Amino acid sequence: MALLDVTGLSKNFGGLLALSNLDVSIEAGSIHGLIGPNGSGKSTFFNLVTGVYQPNPGSRIIFDGHDITSSPSHEIGSLGIARTFQLLRLFSEMTVLQNLMVGYHTHVSYGFLTTLLNNSLVSKADAETADEMMDLLEFIGLADFAGMPASELSGGQRRLLALGRAMAMRPKLLMLDEPAAGLSPVNLDNLLSIVMALKEKFGLTVLIVEHILKVVMETCDTVTVLDYGEKIGEGTPEHVKDDHAVIEAYLGQEMDDEEIRAAFEA
Amino acid sequence: MTAVNSIIHSISSFVDKLNAVHRMLPWVLAFVLLLPLPQILAAVFNDYYIYLANKICIFILLSVGLNIVKGFCGQVTVGHVGLYAIGAVSSALVSIHFGWSFWLAFPIGILLSGIAGLIVGLPSVRLEGAYLALATLGLGESVRIMIAVTPLFGSSTGLLSIPEPTIGSFVFDNYTKYYYMVMTFAMIGIYLSFSILRSATGRAFMAVREDTVAAAVHGINVAKYKLLAFVISALYAGAAGGLFAHMPPGYIHHNNFTIIEMVTLLLMVVLGGIGHIWGGILGAIIVTIIYDQTLEFYFIQPLLFGMTMILIVIFMPRGIGGVIDRYFMTKKFMKIREENSDGTS
Repeated sequence: MALLDVTGLSKNFGGLLALSNLDVSIEAGSIHGLIGPNGSGKSTFFNLVTGVYQPNPGSRIIFDGHDITSSPSHEIGSLGIARTFQLLRLFSEMTVLQNLMVGYHTHVSYGFLTTLLNNSLVSKADAETADEMMDLLEFIGLADFAGMPASELSGGQRRLLALGRAMAMRPKLLMLDEPAAGLSPVNLDNLLSIVMALKEKFGLTVLIVEHILKVVMETCDTVTVLDYGEKIGEGTPEHVKDDHAVIEAYLGQEMDDEEIRAAFEA
Repeated sequence: MTAVNSIIHSISSFVDKLNAVHRMLPWVLAFVLLLPLPQILAAVFNDYYIYLANKICIFILLSVGLNIVKGFCGQVTVGHVGLYAIGAVSSALVSIHFGWSFWLAFPIGILLSGIAGLIVGLPSVRLEGAYLALATLGLGESVRIMIAVTPLFGSSTGLLSIPEPTIGSFVFDNYTKYYYMVMTFAMIGIYLSFSILRSATGRAFMAVREDTVAAAVHGINVAKYKLLAFVISALYAGAAGGLFAHMPPGYIHHNNFTIIEMVTLLLMVVLGGIGHIWGGILGAIIVTIIYDQTLEFYFIQPLLFGMTMILIVIFMPRGIGGVIDRYFMTKKFMKIREENSDGTS
């Protein structure tokens, strides 16, 4: 069953058609990759699904039985879509633990009136949440930094924190926007193994946008390839790898098989 | 410096111990300790300082409220003093013209301020930064001008003989008696601000301040929380206004609500430390005292305050609260590092 079903998704910024008539369907429990050259509409796709932008009329986005085409971001978030950002967008003045607690926001059990009237209930609920978030921090390896402002983490730790904050939402679908950007190979392997472990533990569906083809080829079950806002290929990584339209979009025409293989393995 | 360190440390560990016994105990203790303040002030200095203590309590309410919307939610508002004026004038008018008691007029003032706060907050849904500051400045100033030109609201003479609050036959008719009332309200205000800011609501405010897009994606209704912050801070301003209007001798004038007052208020929050719960309180105490003690130089006061604000923003961007926070954090990490090195050696 498809967890996320996108049909006829289009978006234009003025005269520029960023996405045109895109159909993508993401199976529950799979790892779905989204690749394409710069400017092919990958990030626009993310922003449309999570309600940061509104799509053109005629588009339809169905998530888990809900039509979220024109829902605001916070409702989409509470339905169970979590995402990370290419530029992370951490709450940098807040501590690592607080970042995760914000991620947990939609599951908070008390309302604003309780906040005013019953302080002990609030501190008890918050202490429980903090415990749960500490477990998650332990899992991604940031437990020692729980009290530190997010701005003081290193680049690799920030990427992990962004992942942790998204996971604090207890999502059904986790969307990662270039999780590997700027990571060293060791950190990258670490991040991927954490993502795989989280997927197993929480039964996630994962959507990855990535430039580093190695990541996509090794982890994804299905890959969708975009170019100039249109889908030019879809299938298993092996299938996509040999697709001529894809090779053309990525590498141009004038390459023989040997060079193509070398480029993909780099 | 070490003496200051040890004092801060012993205070914080003492408060922790009290907290462990009962959560309300530190608050009750602080309240009891603050009760004899007017007598102490009268004995050490003179009666004038009791008036100053009243003023400090009112400014604490104002700056704690402003800290919620500006410090925690990150919305630059310059209309806060207008909300303060609305609370003061409406509470005063209701008790002068209808003869209603303070205990009825005061909540009405707070409520009207809250509604006005919602209106001041509406531009924040679309505007940010300097544009929002301009919009709220317009709203705040128009309130003041409205008061200045409308005879009903006092115009140039101001509102006179606003009745003092009473409980039974007890009349809060001098600064010592009135101090008990404003201090109680200031304590309640501080306590509530702690409750709000240390809950999920407070975290949502901070998330909105840090990054609205990220906050929204993580399930926070950004517009709702911005408006909530504006309304809460307006309720604080309304309470401060009501208390100010009914303070003996019961006189308010539109000159109490100028842009200068607003700058002073902003200085309190900035000096105390934007986004630190204690910051607003500390800032209110320090700035009110300095403001009062330098009244004879009133010609250069705005210049001094403005320059102080610029210097703080450049050299101490997180204010006094930030410095204290950093001190505790450094200490915590030093401790962790020591423990770790003990473990390995």
